Amino acid sequence: MTTTREETAGPPGTAAPVRRAVAETAATVAYRYGLVVVLVVMLVVFAALRPAFATYGNALIVLQSVAVVGVVALGVTVSMTTGGFDLSAGACVGTVVMVTALTMVRFNLTGATAILFGLLTGLLVAGVNVLLTVVARVPDLVATLGTMFLFQGLALIATSGQSVSAGMTIDGAPAPGRYTEGFTWLGGGTIASVPVPVVVFAVLAAAVYVFLNHTRWGRALYAIGGNAEAARLAGIRVGRYRALAYAVSGVCAAVAGILLSARLGRGDVGAGDPYLLQSVAAALIGFAVLGANRPNAVGTVVGALFIGVMINGLTMLNAPYYAQTFVQGALLVGSLVVSYALTPGRRERKIR
Amino acid sequence: MTAAAEPVVSVSGVSKRYGATLALDDVTLDARPGEVVGLIGTNGAGKSTLIKVLSGVTRPSAGTIHLAGTRAEPAGPLEAQAAGVQTVHQNIDDGVVFGTTVAENLLLDSFGRRHSGWFTTRARIRARAAEVARAVRLDLPLDAPVETLPASARQQIVIARALSRRARLLILDEPTSTLSAVEADALMARVREAAAGGVAVLYVSHRLAEIEDLCDRVVVLRDGRVRRIFTAPLDRAAIVEAMLGEVGHVSAAGRETAPGGRGRPVLEAEGVRTTAGGRPFGLVVREGEVLGVTGLVGSGKTELLEQLGGARPLVSGELRVDGRPYRPGHPRAAIAAGVAFAAEERSAQAIVPGWSIRAHVTLPWLRAHSRAGLLSRGSETDSARRVVDLFGVRGAGRAASPDAAIETLSGGNQQKVVVGRWLETSPRVLLLDEPFRGVDVGARADIGRVVREHAAGMAVVVASSDPQEIVELADRVLVLHEGAPTGELPVADVTAERLAALMSGGTDGDPPPHDPGDGTDPRRGAATEQGGER
Repeated sequence: MTTTREETAGPPGTAAPVRRAVAETAATVAYRYGLVVVLVVMLVVFAALRPAFATYGNALIVLQSVAVVGVVALGVTVSMTTGGFDLSAGACVGTVVMVTALTMVRFNLTGATAILFGLLTGLLVAGVNVLLTVVARVPDLVATLGTMFLFQGLALIATSGQSVSAGMTIDGAPAPGRYTEGFTWLGGGTIASVPVPVVVFAVLAAAVYVFLNHTRWGRALYAIGGNAEAARLAGIRVGRYRALAYAVSGVCAAVAGILLSARLGRGDVGAGDPYLLQSVAAALIGFAVLGANRPNAVGTVVGALFIGVMINGLTMLNAPYYAQTFVQGALLVGSLVVSYALTPGRRERKIR
Repeated sequence: MTAAAEPVVSVSGVSKRYGATLALDDVTLDARPGEVVGLIGTNGAGKSTLIKVLSGVTRPSAGTIHLAGTRAEPAGPLEAQAAGVQTVHQNIDDGVVFGTTVAENLLLDSFGRRHSGWFTTRARIRARAAEVARAVRLDLPLDAPVETLPASARQQIVIARALSRRARLLILDEPTSTLSAVEADALMARVREAAAGGVAVLYVSHRLAEIEDLCDRVVVLRDGRVRRIFTAPLDRAAIVEAMLGEVGHVSAAGRETAPGGRGRPVLEAEGVRTTAGGRPFGLVVREGEVLGVTGLVGSGKTELLEQLGGARPLVSGELRVDGRPYRPGHPRAAIAAGVAFAAEERSAQAIVPGWSIRAHVTLPWLRAHSRAGLLSRGSETDSARRVVDLFGVRGAGRAASPDAAIETLSGGNQQKVVVGRWLETSPRVLLLDEPFRGVDVGARADIGRVVREHAAGMAVVVASSDPQEIVELADRVLVLHEGAPTGELPVADVTAERLAALMSGGTDGDPPPHDPGDGTDPRRGAATEQGGER
């Protein structure tokens, strides 16, 4: 990588302590700004190689492609603040896609009803997670893994494993309803030329940022993630806040599911599956942004953009689509190294 | 000298330095085969360090250790084990592997050894475990999974394993701290058996009754030095006195002497217990008063304060704050009722890694710093700055910035922040559990000064196992022993003898006579013992 070479090269003949100080500063700079710098460099390189990359239209395409992942990732970020981990987010997206499709197609109800049922589904998933982790004290990772399977399975049962789309036959008769126009606008419409999902993503990102960084509830969530016992003794009701974190995560996943359902215009089985790993990757990449080293909204947005830009750019460079997963993996591993290995003062902290 | 009387272990002139602190200072002691030597001291006296040095976990900075007459310099715990030093740590479950059977646990050491074969079969393990069990007379079902056994049985396994490793010196670190009285008795019988078999035992405990029952000699450590060595028959009060050291009186200047009954009662407790089986008692703390609670480790100080502060459920009884019933189900309820509790373990119970001073100060009172749902940075900074100014919190050589990460401060300055934050909204009751642990003298004075200054408008309860700290801060001292109060003294009447008598379970009215001939001066004692070796 060209960026790292610039940072480590010092003028020849410098005294050793100076060089060490320079190296330390370089490590700190790499730790704080490395990912942002790489993102900017990537934008410049893609723009230089493919002029079509640096257009307003393409920027919207990139944003549209990351909006759903980004919304899920914001929820996952909140679930991580307390030290939890919502592995059921992807399954929640998929279930909400099926629920909204069934509401409109099978039961011929309005788009607003579909949105309401979708959000309630998100809260239901969150409720199961809370029962398992807070009430039954199952470790977060395995509990939400279980929830993931439960809801993936439920979505399959409810639809007999079929996709839900207008005109499908149910018990020999055609389905009575179809996606309403208002609902599909959520996926394909624009507000002042910006796609609706991008607007929703931006609004949610701002809301989650304010919630985590500037409200006492966000402070309490981080306190629990940092030292749950200290938080409890400071008067924070740990269980309630952990439940709140999962509820936020569930609602975010539900919003993402609604957006995805509206864009697809049908209820595809397994539509939500890819969103878990991508959103977790975005949230984890976010740890490395601006030296936060903890789940944070800005980092998650940068992480989601990072993934989107890289995939979009590589596609424009005619890289094979089947290389995308590998590239995402490399990105994730790289940023994990940044947030865990380059943390300033990591060695000192180990000594206690 | 006959071989039997030759010491199994003899430690001479051992010191251990950690940075600026001298954890062990010129420690000399020895133990002979068949002898049970008690090791006793308050927290931070150097017991753990001595165990670490003996068991090869750490190397002494100076001095020598001889095992069975040969100089021992174990490079690690495994070498110390090979030399015959077997250590059983306080936490029993560190010594057993859950999910495996008794037999497998007995043979744990052999699995990691070379030439122990590639394959293990149930029958082979069982046969070899049966041998081990027979040799150390362990009577437990070999096929039982360890997690189904009670703590005492798990401890038997750990001790059996230790003995099976050719034990010369068996170190037991607070072995009874998690056992019931009956189980503890069984353990003592086992220790006597092991000693009778020719093993030297170093027995570390805070329970004086056990020490008295079991030990032939007792070594008292204080501030890293051997203060006295007692030989049986033992005098409890004298041991405690040696543990505590001098209790110097602080001049009354700068502190209001608050004779009981001056202010109105703020915190009242009736029928409270430290533990479920304990004796119920009551207490009253008045406005403007600092009540000191002292007692040995395990005497129930923390249990009492945690109940008062809502950090653990009230075992029994009733509490009142300013005459109103108070029954906190959660620390939040305590805070709402005006009760602030600074817990014992700073890093485990108060510090959030990576957080600034400001965030630590405002954490218990975030609602007070919220404006229309958003946190006000200005309000938070003001609050943090007040704590910094009040206590003189210093970081990097000057007044600490509210933005400074708390880990960049020294232990004493961290403690100023975690104690100081509780004063920020003027609580009615301030509970401080071991506020001076790991705190330097300067910070201790700063914290003491501020707490005394603020005591006028509230009731303060301070728990400490160091009587000196209590005497500096308190108006009245309540002494606990094994979960219940043994007495109460106005601070003016506190003497080392009276405290020692109460802390060792005696009564205040009848202080046992202090007999200096009972123990020996450490240097003299060590010298005579080494003379015997020559």
